[in-house]
Amino acid sequence: MEAVAEISELRVEAGGRLLVDGVSLRALPGRVTALVGPSGSGKTTTGRALLGEFPPGARVTGRLRTAPGGVGYVPQDPASVLNPARRAGALLHDIARLRVRHLPRPARAEALRRHLEEALEQAQLPDGTALLRRYPHQLSGGQQQRLVLAQALLAGAGAVVADEPTTGLDVLTRRAVADRLAAVAAQGIALVLLSHDLELVRALADEVLILHQGRVVESGPAPRLWTAPRSPVTRQLLGTAGEKGGDTSYEPEPEPGTAAVRPAPPATGDRPTPRGRLDVEGPGPAVLSIRELVARHGRTTSLRMPELDVRAGECLAVVGPSGSGKTTLGRCLAGLHRDHTGRLLLGGTPLPRSLRRRSTAQLAQVQYVFQDARAAFVATWPVLDQVARTAVRLRGADRAAATREALTVLAALGLPPETVRRLPAALSGGELQRAALARGLLAHPRVLVCDEITSGLDRASRDTLLAFLRARLDQDPGLALLLITHDRDTAALADRLAVLDDGEILQQGPAAEVLDRPAHAFTRALAGRAASRAAPAG
Amino acid sequence: MNALGAFALRRLLLGLGQTAAVVLLVFALTEALPGDAAVALAGDQPDPARIAAIREAMHLDRPAHERLLDWAGGLLHGDLGTSLVSGRPVTSYLSGGFGPTLQLAALTLALLLPLALGLGVLAAARAGGWVDRLVSALTLGVYAVPEFALGVLLISLFALHWDLLPPTAVGTSGSLLDDPAALVLPVVVLLSRPVCSLARLIRAGMIEALDSPYAAQAARYGVSGTRIRWAHALPHAVAPAVQQLARTVDWLLCGVIVVEALFVIPGLGTVLVAAVAERDLPVLQGLAVVFGVLTVLVNLAADVVAHRFTPRTEAAA
Repeated sequence: MEAVAEISELRVEAGGRLLVDGVSLRALPGRVTALVGPSGSGKTTTGRALLGEFPPGARVTGRLRTAPGGVGYVPQDPASVLNPARRAGALLHDIARLRVRHLPRPARAEALRRHLEEALEQAQLPDGTALLRRYPHQLSGGQQQRLVLAQALLAGAGAVVADEPTTGLDVLTRRAVADRLAAVAAQGIALVLLSHDLELVRALADEVLILHQGRVVESGPAPRLWTAPRSPVTRQLLGTAGEKGGDTSYEPEPEPGTAAVRPAPPATGDRPTPRGRLDVEGPGPAVLSIRELVARHGRTTSLRMPELDVRAGECLAVVGPSGSGKTTLGRCLAGLHRDHTGRLLLGGTPLPRSLRRRSTAQLAQVQYVFQDARAAFVATWPVLDQVARTAVRLRGADRAAATREALTVLAALGLPPETVRRLPAALSGGELQRAALARGLLAHPRVLVCDEITSGLDRASRDTLLAFLRARLDQDPGLALLLITHDRDTAALADRLAVLDDGEILQQGPAAEVLDRPAHAFTRALAGRAASRAAPAG
Repeated sequence: MNALGAFALRRLLLGLGQTAAVVLLVFALTEALPGDAAVALAGDQPDPARIAAIREAMHLDRPAHERLLDWAGGLLHGDLGTSLVSGRPVTSYLSGGFGPTLQLAALTLALLLPLALGLGVLAAARAGGWVDRLVSALTLGVYAVPEFALGVLLISLFALHWDLLPPTAVGTSGSLLDDPAALVLPVVVLLSRPVCSLARLIRAGMIEALDSPYAAQAARYGVSGTRIRWAHALPHAVAPAVQQLARTVDWLLCGVIVVEALFVIPGLGTVLVAAVAERDLPVLQGLAVVFGVLTVLVNLAADVVAHRFTPRTEAAA
């Protein structure tokens, strides 16, 4: 078969670092080629090379041949390629105009409309023409992704590079994305998938290239690679993924790079597990009680919660798909979302709706750790000072004592003093996430709300974080944790689960009970291995 | 579209409030003149008969709130009162000065927009090249020269030394447009600094937008460079530029005092200077109200346009 896009012996060197060395890749029409590897392994550099784009000042050798219709690109964050100042369809219209340029003028408008509708339909946005009139920020993440895909289809791209299309999405949405990409390949387009989402790769890929430190360590047809991996890196990758029963549930990235360096791969026993208590319903008074909570965004009601208690010493996970109202709940508790009725009782006393009305003690008692840790730090101040500041501001601790305590907590989270004395820009996303957690803990809260704090982390960092939280709960019986998550392994830490969808609690109870008798598609997806095996196959 | 309409309506209501505040403030400031306003106004000629005349003309014997109601009621009917100096209605002063100022402002704006857009986009398209460096150096240099200095320089070169253009508008009766040559130097002086500030703002916004992933995506799919610059990158640069433009329009309409004085143009700036010199309080009050209302209107329009190009911001007002 003739390749639509082809790279041979690509070598990219930038800023004295070798990003990619000797990578060859053939994208065949209708086939899915997956590039798998940890961040920094050269996936993105290779993918961008297919687009003919290289980092500034890079030294490039090798051969590149691309499709006549060009190569389309669906980035990890589709919103970044949609112009916020223009309507969502602006670029689509321009692409369509290029396609009808050869026609006589009177025929153009009609042909343009037909091309647009066809591309939208192929991208599974059947009534998309109305969406094109909106602004990008008024579209959901899924709609944005489909719109960007429609751009590639409309341009007549022979190949499409999709960069981490499922990162940060919940289980159900990931399946929809997999379906959509399979449909693209079925149209005869060569799909190049850059991903560390192993289930997505298993479901879609025909060819797999395993990248490690800029080199292809193994490549071949997907079935051969799954059954008879030759390279130790591949075995490591698959072995870690199979750890939880050898099945193919959606797993976050197992970081073969770091695992290869470490002598002993993390075994199942090292992972944090919920305490095997039978009496999870029993002890611990309710620290925080939610009664008749109804939260609104403008005129739409986004959350209804007749009753929910968070007890001392327990970890309550609030799970649900994107848009289910999880974050709204967290924001109501933290006083960040004021538009709600109902009562929030902290240790029996009503909690004011707005942050501004809360006393310093009340502020300290309910702490919130944001999903986007980088945005939660001031860029011009060392991380340590910002972490310690919480204790000074909210508990009146003196600076020296606060700094000592901050250093202790940060060290327990694996952040050495020399790291935390730097500015936020010098820390990785995972490190900042842990620092943000430390900052919340320094207030000595009674309720700690953690909003998707593990979603951007690799497996090892996530496990460290969860183990730390578990240990912290054991040490401090007065603390209650509220984890907002769509990640199964994070939810597995919890004593109790509350399942939210469309702003309503569908199910709540001890974690084991909810996962054993799932009453909702999302819970089933969360709990069920069998269900996820039936995920879309090519 | 609906959201934009709602925003415009909210902003309009706010504008009405701001206008009312301007009217109140102008009245309050007049009231706050030290001592008896009539004595202060009489100034150099503290002749008791004159003070009494002023008192009567301004109805100072009546309580303040009644006078405010009277004055505000008059404003609603377009009656701004009468001049203390000449006894002519204030509106005749304003309408006399408004024509030249408006002509000057409109001409300046008509040239300002294409010039600033062209220079800004040109510099951004060649960012880092010699064209960009030349444009940036020139705009910074010219921006640093105050209007009066540039005006004096241009007059001495073009009018006095080379005798190409008339030095002032003295002698032009009626419309300035009848004597276009008299307009060249004032318009050049008026243009000089706004062109620079606007072009620099547009250049900065354009460079940011051209560097963005969405511009790269458009280039990837074969959209031409010109189209990317004007249709995809420029909207990003419009929002900050339009706010700056509103400030420029304010400044142009509210009587460009220095330029009008320098070129002896009988516009609002000249009326203002004369009214201050003669302590003609009703004329000053009228001018203040007109300037205030114009400022509110121009900024309202700018906010609506900026809002259109930054749809994510909840409300700029």
